[in-house]
Amino acid sequence: MMNGMSPEVSEHVPICSTKDIVTARQKGRELAHCFKFSKGEQTRFATAISELTRNILTYADTGSCQFYVYTDKNYHTIMAKIIDHGPGIENPKLAMTDGYSSGNGLGLGLPGAKRLVHELSIKSEPGLTQIEITIRQKKY
Amino acid sequence: MTIIPILYLKSTLIASIQTELTDEEVLLFQSNLLKKNHKLNTKGVIIDVSTLDVIDSYMAKVLKDLTSMVKLQGSVFLLSGVKPAVSSTLVDMGMMLNNVETFLSLDQAFDYLSTKVQAKK
Ligand SMILES: Nc1ncnc2c1ncn2[C@@H]1O[C@H](COP(=O)(O)OP(=O)(O)OP(=O)(O)O)[C@@H](O)[C@H]1O
Ligand SMILES: [Mg+2]
Repeated sequence: MMNGMSPEVSEHVPICSTKDIVTARQKGRELAHCFKFSKGEQTRFATAISELTRNILTYADTGSCQFYVYTDKNYHTIMAKIIDHGPGIENPKLAMTDGYSSGNGLGLGLPGAKRLVHELSIKSEPGLTQIEITIRQKKY
Repeated sequence: MTIIPILYLKSTLIASIQTELTDEEVLLFQSNLLKKNHKLNTKGVIIDVSTLDVIDSYMAKVLKDLTSMVKLQGSVFLLSGVKPAVSSTLVDMGMMLNNVETFLSLDQAFDYLSTKVQAKK
């Protein structure tokens, strides 16, 4: 979606322990705050990051969360790219269904995160899972 | 590890979660709270989250579990100060915290305990 544009800010948080979940979601909040997203949007973005990075620790062991900020004429867009090299999401469509969990979770992480952001996309195969979430805000 | 202070006041345990906790810290807090409540035989336990910006599904589950666990100990569990941004996020996530008794402020939660809940002998 952001093809051809180079981001104005990019940051990278490795996800190896639950401490990193806190670091990643705080970083997401901070960026959203910096670009004047509302308190509600800051919290929603941070919560989505929390869910997706926790999935890394549960299903793939380690990974990373990368942030990119793009600004064009009208909008600030913040993207968080959550990446791991674990087994992959077997059936992404099923995984996006409310209540589906292959383990004993509530199955709310992925579908819930989708409702919290502007856009969520999943690319997953064995060895590479990449989930992108974006929030967008009109420039003032 | 961040340790959340748990205060005892007029037959009530009060804790305020002000910093973001890791999953391990949340669990440690939960177990400390239950131990302390078991020892002191309180009327109720109040957790204030009025400065907390993120309650994700993990934290939400712990709060729900605490409601049942504290009830099994014979006390009432109250949550106070959930921020508007947090409550709307929880609803959109599908985490309703339905069985958790909530109050706008710590003050109101404490009032409720002192006036509506009978002291234990
Ligand atoms: N990074 C990942 N790698 C492999 N599989 C994943 C990954 N993230 C999610 N999944 C799969 O998608 C399913 C749904 O994920 P989701 O986060 O919605 O629910 P959950 O983690 O099972 O439970 P909850 O997040 O509510 O505790 C998971 O049970 C798992 O099978
Ligand atoms: Mg999950």
